[in-house]
Parts: sequence; structure tokens; C-alpha cells
Amino acid sequence: MPVTNGNRTLTEWLTLLLGVVILLVGLFFLIAGADLAMLGGSTYYALCGIILVASGVFMLMGRTLGAFLYLGALAYTWVWSLWEVGFSPVDLLPRAFGPTILGILVALTIPVLRRMESRRTLRGAV
Amino acid sequence: MRRSHLLATAAGLALACAPLAAHAQFAPAGSGGPPSATIPGPGNADEPKENTPPNSSYFAGPSPYAPQAPGVNAANLPDIESIDASQVPAMAPQQSANPSREDWPAYGRDDKATRYSPLTELNPETVKRLEPAFVYHTGSYPRPGQTNKWAAETTPIKVGDGLYMCSAQNDIMKLDPATGKEIWRRNLGVKYESIPYTAACKGVTYFTSSVVPEGEPCHNRILEGTLDMRLVAVDAATGAFCPAFGHNGQVNLMQGLGESVPGFVAMTAPPPVVNGVVVVNHEVLDGQRRWAPSGVVRGYDAESGKFVWAWDVGNPDDHNQPTGNRHYSRGTPNSWATMTGDNEQGLVYVPTGNSAGDYFSGLRSPAENAVSTSVVALDVKTGSPRWVYQTTRKDVWDYDMGSQVTMMDMPGSDGTPTPALIVPTKRGQTFVLDRQTGKPILPVEERPAPAGNVPGDSRAPTQPWSVGMPALRMPELKEKDMWGMSPIDQLYCRIKFRSAHYDGEFTAPSLDKPWIMYPGNNGGSDWGSMSYDPNTGILVANWNASPMYAQLITRKKADALGLMPIDDPNYKPGAGAAEGNGPMEGTPYAIAIAPFWDPVTKMLCHRPPYGMITAIDMKHGQKVLWQHPLGTARANGPWGLPTGLSWEIGTPNNGGSVVTAGGLIFIAAATDNLIRAIDEHTGKVVWSAVLPGGGQANPMTYEANGHQYVAIMAGGHHFMMTPITDQLVVYALPDAIKH
Repeated sequence: MPVTNGNRTLTEWLTLLLGVVILLVGLFFLIAGADLAMLGGSTYYALCGIILVASGVFMLMGRTLGAFLYLGALAYTWVWSLWEVGFSPVDLLPRAFGPTILGILVALTIPVLRRMESRRTLRGAV
Repeated sequence: MRRSHLLATAAGLALACAPLAAHAQFAPAGSGGPPSATIPGPGNADEPKENTPPNSSYFAGPSPYAPQAPGVNAANLPDIESIDASQVPAMAPQQSANPSREDWPAYGRDDKATRYSPLTELNPETVKRLEPAFVYHTGSYPRPGQTNKWAAETTPIKVGDGLYMCSAQNDIMKLDPATGKEIWRRNLGVKYESIPYTAACKGVTYFTSSVVPEGEPCHNRILEGTLDMRLVAVDAATGAFCPAFGHNGQVNLMQGLGESVPGFVAMTAPPPVVNGVVVVNHEVLDGQRRWAPSGVVRGYDAESGKFVWAWDVGNPDDHNQPTGNRHYSRGTPNSWATMTGDNEQGLVYVPTGNSAGDYFSGLRSPAENAVSTSVVALDVKTGSPRWVYQTTRKDVWDYDMGSQVTMMDMPGSDGTPTPALIVPTKRGQTFVLDRQTGKPILPVEERPAPAGNVPGDSRAPTQPWSVGMPALRMPELKEKDMWGMSPIDQLYCRIKFRSAHYDGEFTAPSLDKPWIMYPGNNGGSDWGSMSYDPNTGILVANWNASPMYAQLITRKKADALGLMPIDDPNYKPGAGAAEGNGPMEGTPYAIAIAPFWDPVTKMLCHRPPYGMITAIDMKHGQKVLWQHPLGTARANGPWGLPTGLSWEIGTPNNGGSVVTAGGLIFIAAATDNLIRAIDEHTGKVVWSAVLPGGGQANPMTYEANGHQYVAIMAGGHHFMMTPITDQLVVYALPDAIKH
């Protein structure tokens, strides 16, 4: 019997919650980052914000692409961090630590998103 | 499969949300510590007219020129008479001139303020067995309903059979140095209302009379300046007031200061006695009004308590006490740091601050500008400056001099030593001067400084840089130095950084947007001062790197924020207390000021370390021997939560060091509430212990019953947000403690 939308599992809800978190972080990055860029500061936040917003939206749509976009943003974050401060643990802490923790969670959602995707495909086929 | 997913997700979320990074902290807004200083931000320094409350109760404050009523006289003492300097009896040899090996007879241990002890029982090996010997409770701490303004900052002195100290509210006591048993206690009844920015009593002064014969009461005396502006002399043996000093042992130091209220002016540092003259200075609450009470420095006869001279910057040729309703000139630079006496030169070295109305210099007189934020060498016979060395010109950054200067002999190129003075500053520039002339011994460069931003005020074109000494400062801030727990608060701080003027150390005050002060008034060297080992030539300095974020605001905006000076009848504590937002009444502007931090997490905006300790070899080219962060993250964290991490992050610190012939440095100071022993030669921490409160005080060491003791006041500090206690903690080896 097909699972309906109103019958999500807990992991699916947590995945969606993660999507909300990423979307909110992305919006903050985008808006505050644009402010910073206009003040003559780094453009990283605004650019990363665009990817994060997209990532969050796709995750909320239950699309695996959302997770891969986040992992892309994470890769960008690491490259930018290393470019800005090198291998200094104290300086990498605020830049890369939190995003990497989130990245691990996002990676864990990939099977969940895949399941959601395949279910949709299934429903579409019925 | 599903369950493990769930667990991993939950654990991960918890981790991501947990406070992960350690950080430095300052007091929260509201009760105690800096008031809720909201920096208005770009374009918000003014207030639209309709928002300005009607000024029905405008309090102008006393005119600097009109005659005025005397201020508070805490003990209702009659006026004190004057005597001529020639009538001051010749001074007997003092304990601090050549301290006994086992003693610590003055705040900085000796007349030179070296903070060096020749004791050797404790060395990098034996110190590992150090244990608490006793704890003494002074009885002064905030009672329910009182704002936390406490930071005892006390260093006991030890002479012979007595350990002499004061409580944060100036009660004086003599303790048995081996057991901590109270031998006598003299309560002085200093009221809560008299506490200025901080309830502190850095120490007392031991004075041996040449007039009273040995064996009689008050031959040896303890002198103290109080928060409520009394100069007190008690017998060292019994604690009884010295009847021949002032009026039964007390002198009212409010005499001649004109109008004031309790807590506006206060003494927190031990007064030095130089050639028989006890010299007193006092703090004047920052940021209140342009015409705050005078910063006058005065000399009194240490035998009789009679007035000898005054150094009043506004009346440089008049060294007498004002008579009738006249008063010392208002708004002049004050000196709150511990002064150093030089009997040989007949000088007292006075570290000065800037004029009242700290962040606007447009109304200061040339006479004030000549002596502010300087070391002033006053002749103790006349009260006139013999020389002045200025460390910041036209100071509008509150780089007031907090450190006691240290005397040393500087080896010259031909081998003859020059009598020198080490002058630490909040800028982290350490000047080394010839104490006979005030001329720099090590090179000083005049470097261009930025111009001003504010109409009616101008900045000095150049500022002095002591390029011959290692700078106790971090490189200038960049956007990428912004820090945080996550990219979110880091981004907030980057915006904050980019929204302010920042043009290096001397960025001028501004109205259009905030400006960053770095090192700022909590930076560099403060009242902990430095310690100097004359044998190894090692100079020990602990210092801070904690910027401030400030903005000038218009009078209208200040009124809308409810900022008013402490002497305003409508003044409410917390609405505009010192060191935070200040009304600067009488100047065109007020000041909004706070640490450069994220006000939500209370984490400083820039990367650590925030506190450092440095050892400088003064005998071989002033090179840095070692330098490392001071203070672990164990008691600090975001939102003030302790992380328990032993990571030596380098926290803000307040309080100084001791250096011993045993090759050890003792220091607490950091906000991790630890006292530690550091190997003088390697910089390695060889011992540490957790204190019951914040160790924001200078430790000291002495010998009793043949054993070495280390004492630290764990009184805490309201602004540093460390736990307040009334406990003096004294450590010794188990052999000393067993009996």
C-alpha cells in the first residue's frame, strides 16, 4: 500500500527540519552577506547564501539535489576558508566547524531524500 | 538502520547547537558591570526632535569658576592646616627602601616597585607541592540589593610579624602571616554609596615615624586612602588611630575639591611616602561631565597629616589649599594608578589620565593637554613637575595610565647604568625613561596619526611609539580576524567591523558611525603593572588585546537615552555609569561605548588570544624571551557558560605578576580563576590551582617561620564577570602547613 504524504517517518521530518535550518541560514547569509559585500567586505557569504537557499528549497521539496548543493557549498566553504586563513585551527573553527557538522547530517539525509524521491516517482507512475 | 539514523541525527543536531567555542567575556548589561551600551550605528548618533523628552529637570552641574559648597566629608572632619615643606621632619629609613628577605613591605614590594622577591624555597620543582595554607575572609562583598561593583584588587603587605591588608571597602587588618589569624581589625565604615566604578583597595602603606620613638604607639603606621576620600593612619601594632596624625588619625581629602557626590571621586591605590611626604591621588569617575571635580595631586606630612602642597593643573603656580569657597580647578586630568616614590631624586612619579569628558578634547586647556596621559615627575618639596613624559597626545581613547611605573638600572653602552623608569601603557607601548630627566633611553618615534572627524575638536598630528621595546599588542584588526562560534556570528562581527571607522590605533572619535578603539581602554598593560627581576634582567608583562566599539552621540540622543551624570539629582545607577555610556555633560556630545563583541553571545568579535604574558630580556637588547596566551577557556564560553576546556586561549586579564629568585612567576589575573606558577626562563606553567573567585589582583610572596608563602586576593572583578568573593587565599608547602 503506497505511503501518503500525511504519513511521513520521523527521519523524513528531521530531514525537512534540516532543510528549514539550511534555508534560514542561507537567507541570513544572503541578506547579511549582501550587506557585508556592499560595505566592502567579503563576498563569500552572499555567494554561499545563494547556494544554501537553493539547497534548503530543494531539500524541502524532498529532492536529493538539495543535499548535493549543500555539500557543494561546504566544499566552497572549505576552499574559501583555507584561502583566507590557511590551516589555522582557531580560525577554521568559526568558518568550517559548524558547516561541516551540518554537512555530516546532510550526508545522512541522502538515503532519506532518495526514498522520498523514489516514492514520488512511484506515485507518479501509478 | 532507521534507529541508528535517528540517533546520529539527534546527536549531530545537539552537537551543532552546543556552545563549542570558548571565548572571553565581560559583564552583562544591567546590574553591575557596563550598562546596556547599545551603539547607535551609522547615521543614528542623533535623535529626531519629537523623540526627545522635555528637559524639565535639566541639571547643569557646578560652574567651574563659581564658588561652591564643599563635597561630602565622610567622617565630618575639620579642615586640615598647612605646613611648609621645610617643616616636614626628615624621614627615617623605611622598610621598603631595603626590604628584609622575608618581607613584602610595599605594594610593589620595594621602593622601586619591582615585585621581585629574593625567596627561593619555591622553585620550578618544589612549587608542584604547593597547597592552600589558609583563607582569610575580609567581609566585604555585595549584599542583597546592591549592584555588583566589587573587585577588591588587594595586595597585602608583609612586615615582620604582620600581614597587613584592606578589605574592598577599606577596613584595615593585621593577620598572622603563618596562620591567617586576625590580630586586629580597624573598621572604617565606608558606605556602599561611596563606591565609585569599583569597590577596590589595592593596598596599604607601611610607614616608620622619625618623630615617634620606637616602642611607642604609631612609631610604625599603616596609611590608607579610602573610597570616601579619607587619608587614614593607624598604629601597626594595635590598629588604633594615630592621634597625632590629622584629626585623630584621619584627614578629609574632599577639602578643596568643591561640589561632589559620594562615588564621584575615590582613592583605590596605596599612597607612597617620599622623603616624609605622603602623596595622594584619586580617581574621578569617567565620562560624567566636563567640569568634574579636580584631579589634583596632593602631598601631606606623613607624621602630622598636615597639608604640604597641591599640584593643580589649572593653577600650576598656586600650591596652597584653596580657602573659603574656592576649589581646585575642575575637569583636570586625574591619576588613579599607584604612584612610585623616588627618595633619591626627591620625586614622585604620577601616572595621569585624560581630562574629564574623556572622548572630546575640544574644551581642554593647553595646560591640561601638556600633562594628560603622561608620567609626571613631581618634586615632593614643591609639588611642581620637574619633568613630564607624555605617552598619548590629546587622548580621546581613555589610554589613561593604569600601571605603577617600575624603577631599574639600565646598563648603558659604556657600562655605567642609567637610573631608569619602565613606563607601561594601555597602548602596549612600554617607554623606558631616564628618571633624572624624563628623556627616553630607548628610541621613540613620532609617527603620523589620523586627523579628527568631529567639528570643534582636532587630533594631534603625531603620536609617540616606543620602537626600542617589544610592542605588547596584536597586529591591527582586519575583517578576516573576526571570530565566533559559527559563520553566523562571524558574519555579524564582519558587518560590525565594516560599519565602523577603523584607521589603526589612533582612529579618531566619530559621530557619523562607530569607531573601533584597539588596543582600547582595556588593552595593553593596566594596573597589574609589570614585575622585574634585577638579577636576570627579565621584565614580566601581562597584557590585553580587547578592542572597544564606541560612537559619539548628540546631546539630544543622550537625553533620549536618559544618560545623566552621577551628580544629577535624577541620576539612576546603571543609566549611565562610568566606563560604559557616559553623558560627558558640558561637552557637545555624549559617548556610547561597549566592548567590540557580539552582544547576544557576549563573545568578543575578534579572534583570540585576548590576553598574553611576555618576558622581555632587558639586559640583552630588550628581546622577547618568551610570550604566550594567558588564561584557559575553562571558566569562559558563549553566553557566559563555562566550557571546562584547558585550552590556553588567552583570556582578558587584570592584575599583575610576582617574580622570585626561585625562578618563578606567580600570576592569576586571567578570567579562568586560576593562579599559576610559570618558569621565569621557559614560560612553562609549572603549577596551577583553582581559586574560589576571580584572581584579579596582584599576588605577593613572603616568608614566615622559615617557609615561603604566596598570597592572592581572589576577590573577582565585576567587569571581568568573575566570581566575587571576600577571600584572601594563601599557599605554602605541606611542611609549613603541618603545625
